[in-house]
Amino acid sequence: MEEQETQPQEVKVVPEASMTFSPLDLLFNPRSVAIIGATPRENSVGGVITKNLLTKFKGKVYLVNPKYDEVNGIKYYKSILDVQDNIDLAVIAVPAPAVPKVTEECVKKGVKVVIIISGGFSEVGEEGAKLEEELRRVVQNRIRVLGPNCIGVYNAFNGLDTFFLPEDRMGRPRPGPVALISQSGAVAGAILDWAARRNIGVGLAVNYGNKLDISEAELLEYFARDNRVKVIVMYMEGLKYPGEGKRTLEVMKEVTSVKPIVVYKAGRTKAATGAVKSHTAALAGNYEVYRAMLKQANVIEADNLTDAFDMAKALATQPLPRGGNRVLVLTDSGGMGIQAVDALDMRGLQVPELSESLQEILRKQLPPLAVTRNPIDLTGSATDAMYKFVLDTVLPTSYVDMALIIALMQIPGLSINLGNYIVEARRFGKPIVVVSFGGNEYVAKFESNLEENGIPVYHAPHRAAKALWALYEYAKIKGAAKEW
Amino acid sequence: MSMNPIIAKALEEGRYKLLEHESFELLRQYNIPVPDFALVQNVDEALKVVKDIGYPVVLKVVSPDIIHKSDVGGVILNINSDDELKNACERIRNNIKEKAPYARISGFLLQRMVPEGLETIIGATKDPIFGHVIAFGLGGVMVEVLQDVSFRIVPITEEDARAMVREIKGGYRLFNGYRNMPVRDEEAVIYIITKFSELLSDNPNIVEADLNPVIVLERGGKGAYAADARFIIGSM
Repeated sequence: MEEQETQPQEVKVVPEASMTFSPLDLLFNPRSVAIIGATPRENSVGGVITKNLLTKFKGKVYLVNPKYDEVNGIKYYKSILDVQDNIDLAVIAVPAPAVPKVTEECVKKGVKVVIIISGGFSEVGEEGAKLEEELRRVVQNRIRVLGPNCIGVYNAFNGLDTFFLPEDRMGRPRPGPVALISQSGAVAGAILDWAARRNIGVGLAVNYGNKLDISEAELLEYFARDNRVKVIVMYMEGLKYPGEGKRTLEVMKEVTSVKPIVVYKAGRTKAATGAVKSHTAALAGNYEVYRAMLKQANVIEADNLTDAFDMAKALATQPLPRGGNRVLVLTDSGGMGIQAVDALDMRGLQVPELSESLQEILRKQLPPLAVTRNPIDLTGSATDAMYKFVLDTVLPTSYVDMALIIALMQIPGLSINLGNYIVEARRFGKPIVVVSFGGNEYVAKFESNLEENGIPVYHAPHRAAKALWALYEYAKIKGAAKEW
Repeated sequence: MSMNPIIAKALEEGRYKLLEHESFELLRQYNIPVPDFALVQNVDEALKVVKDIGYPVVLKVVSPDIIHKSDVGGVILNINSDDELKNACERIRNNIKEKAPYARISGFLLQRMVPEGLETIIGATKDPIFGHVIAFGLGGVMVEVLQDVSFRIVPITEEDARAMVREIKGGYRLFNGYRNMPVRDEEAVIYIITKFSELLSDNPNIVEADLNPVIVLERGGKGAYAADARFIIGSM
């Protein structure tokens, strides 16, 4: 794997007029968007979406709301049918009872895909379910629908952002190689906010709500095609429709042969099954069966959301291990080193003792107290240069396939420059993860320097170990690494 | 694909459970090894067919009215001679008369005894979202106590089946000759799981199935046998 850049190149996915595009392409990369239910009232759902698109979207925006003619010099249309231009995507944020009618208008207008933000359908009981059936009759293969009852799409590359959470409440992540599919809208919003704060590049995110039409399987297929996406993270509660399990499994299996999928499936316990059912109006089903699906589809299962992003960060930035599962552990703290070895061993990764001849070379340059077997413990007298020396000496050899580097920056011998040495070690083409732990600003600077240069940083050895495990698992799936 | 005649016949007769010989017949159609068996009406027929099957045999009552055959004395194991066989027929008739007087007896199933081996269970249920799901575990009480079971969704590949067998915690060690136990024919179980998946794919009417026990013999061509089978069907 040569693609190691954290800032993926701008690949052109924006549709051009002369070509035809699938509805899913238009969902994420429209040239023109109409907001039905647009409003200048900033604290409303329609208002936040209106503001998002007017200020950030790199394309044409048309506002539709019969209550307004013009606000701040921007024209409002009575109906989408009054817009002269072609509309690639319509975003619907009107009260539920009005949704079937405006959707019908979108069909007439020739719109190929709509995002229905509005809630008040099958998630609220019988009346809502009837309304959803009415909407289904309007839709009938004439138009594609994301939602209803969803938060829609976030695309950091083109500024398409239907997340109706104001910017001061939900930070927006930078463009980057991670794509998120979330069954829950609120969870999607919280994840993006969390990712923005940690500078994790989540370039694309989507929530599909009641899934009247567009399913997680189709979204996975789209993300598999989009070159900007290196890894797909999915938050999933349960599938909804009879028989859709097989198709989801098939699609997942195809996608994982192209790029990794990390899934966190919530609603694992009997106690939570009822909650899943009422939350998603889905049949939920036994967690064991979902686990079976994930295993069969070569999906990497996460235990929680931070776990999912820990692994995604590594999968998005690191090459896959080619030889096997042997890890170099390089540390300035014996205690941290032991924790790392425990965590690696529990995940089935090896920390092999280095050969005597290689240790001899290391011993000649390192202080007498340093331990050279692997873990290599440079102790509290470690310096940047010692780390560089060990990395340059051991990482290119065939004794190890990956590196877990622990750098407790509290000791005086280490500086920000250590980060540059670690970044340079990427040239050996082996996965590298770093454990850093602390609270001062110097540590924070060290960490952000690494992350900006494509080295994932973790605040505990077990999290870094799990990230390496995910790389090894995916390498096995891709047939890159040998089974040990 | 048209409905399998065995299943069609049962549904026609209003039965939602296949009779044991029907179950074995269905397994045979998919090359899933079952012990040699024959359906007989009386002692004379039994004495005739046992010459082909060979001792030791098991004798089981066949009745649409009895669910748990052993509970009513409807199963006799390890029959080694013609005298024992005659005796067994008589004993089963008496047991049923006493413990399940309502039950119709449609005959007896004469079945070759499978030698002792590692007992495993291969089961299936039909999930509304995923369709058929296959479960694999060790047989006996352990499967219930330890809940040490692996699941996969039909259709499953040979690789999936291998992963299923290796996933169960105690299983893998027992397969590989724990202490002085023989090494078991893992490939034979993997084969049964994949054929069972095929059987389920072809027959959407099956809503529940158990091959229990599947007896796994020693590695080196001894194979594995579904010694007992149960199929519950639905009219869809």
